[in-house]
Amino acid sequence: MRNLLNFLVRYNNLIIFLILEGVAIFLLTSANSYHKTRFFNGIRGLTVGIETRISNTRNYLNLREINKTLAEENTALRNSTGLPTDRTNSLFFSVSDSGFRQQYIRTSAEVINNSVNRQKNYFTINKGTRQGVKVDMAVTSGRSVAGLIVSCSERFSVVMSLLNLDFRLSGRIKSNGYFGSVSWDGADIRHAVLNEIPQHVAVNVGDTIETTGFSAIFPEGIIIGTVSDFEKIGGDFYHITISLITDFRNLHFINVIGNMQKTEQLLLEKQFQ
Amino acid sequence: MITSLLRLGLIFILLILLQILLFNNIQFSGYVNPYIYIMFILLLPVEIPSWLLLLLSFATGLIIDIFSGSPGMHTSASVLAGFVRPYILRVISPRDGYELGSEPSMLTYGFTWFFTYTLLMVLVHHTALFYLEVFRLADFFGTLLRVLLSSLFSMIFILLIEYYRRGR
Repeated sequence: MRNLLNFLVRYNNLIIFLILEGVAIFLLTSANSYHKTRFFNGIRGLTVGIETRISNTRNYLNLREINKTLAEENTALRNSTGLPTDRTNSLFFSVSDSGFRQQYIRTSAEVINNSVNRQKNYFTINKGTRQGVKVDMAVTSGRSVAGLIVSCSERFSVVMSLLNLDFRLSGRIKSNGYFGSVSWDGADIRHAVLNEIPQHVAVNVGDTIETTGFSAIFPEGIIIGTVSDFEKIGGDFYHITISLITDFRNLHFINVIGNMQKTEQLLLEKQFQ
Repeated sequence: MITSLLRLGLIFILLILLQILLFNNIQFSGYVNPYIYIMFILLLPVEIPSWLLLLLSFATGLIIDIFSGSPGMHTSASVLAGFVRPYILRVISPRDGYELGSEPSMLTYGFTWFFTYTLLMVLVHHTALFYLEVFRLADFFGTLLRVLLSSLFSMIFILLIEYYRRGR
């Protein structure tokens, strides 16, 4: 017993260090299964008030720019729908017409906390389950890809940004339809990488890269970016650098898109896996 | 005694605010993220008991983690920095040893000493932090470059703040 006490006294700082480091590593690793931890949502709740305030200030400073992009987007939308009235409000808008089989529902939300300077970036938006947002819905900014919902509380959701090493997206070259996998390499927030395009395909700088809709998350044809550079590396595939359309440093209002037929598609596909 | 405690508390709050409101938003080209909050761990008194040092490092890291939404990352890097601090202090101790009750500042021990001290601490902290962030060894040298560049900028900012503190 005396030996044990001596041991504890002698190595007390090593023991405290190991305990504290253990707690930290536990937090770190349990957070890797991001959307499963309730702990994280609890912590988020504490800081959300302050973050909302910071984001309000930031939005106020950027009002001119935000208004401009919103006005541009409104014009584009009005032109594309041809509807006489503007029916967008804060709730999901669905058409109650049994002859029209609606596949995607959309809503808009505000970004209240954003990060771009990490290797695994996430941002928080001010809508949650109460507004019908669910995990695995797509997030776009304007007309381009921004991220994927990974966690929802009642009034907030956390979005895995495209600028995250774990983010994968199926993308294709618009001009010829060849598809590959889009990911971020962690180097530059303005560029992402498109892999798995075979080398016999003609690729040009400036080609548009858009989503395929294979994953049943993103609708087909949402712009990701344009080809800024490509090189042939070992193997049979190109290494294509995409310059992203979305400016992640300047993300204020985003759209959430849910696929109403996702469950049906995934259930069917599951039978063959 | 009370004034020095108050001063440390004030430094703590100021550093955390600077980190969250200013430095977390700085980003040049994806390689540089200065983390200046560890300056608090640097400035704790020399003869602080190691258990208190570890607990304070833990708390600092946890607060930064909560506000930047990255559970555990900053906490474990700061705890590591707090753990190695006594060893670093011993290695680089000045010829006459440390004065009793002094804080390890540029004013007390000079620029060269403070520079070495900051360099070692920042390197330990940033290495742990950036490798924990990616949590993989692929692209080892890319991460190393991020560590070195970010350390350089953290150093510059910490030395500037310390220089400003000395001037008063």
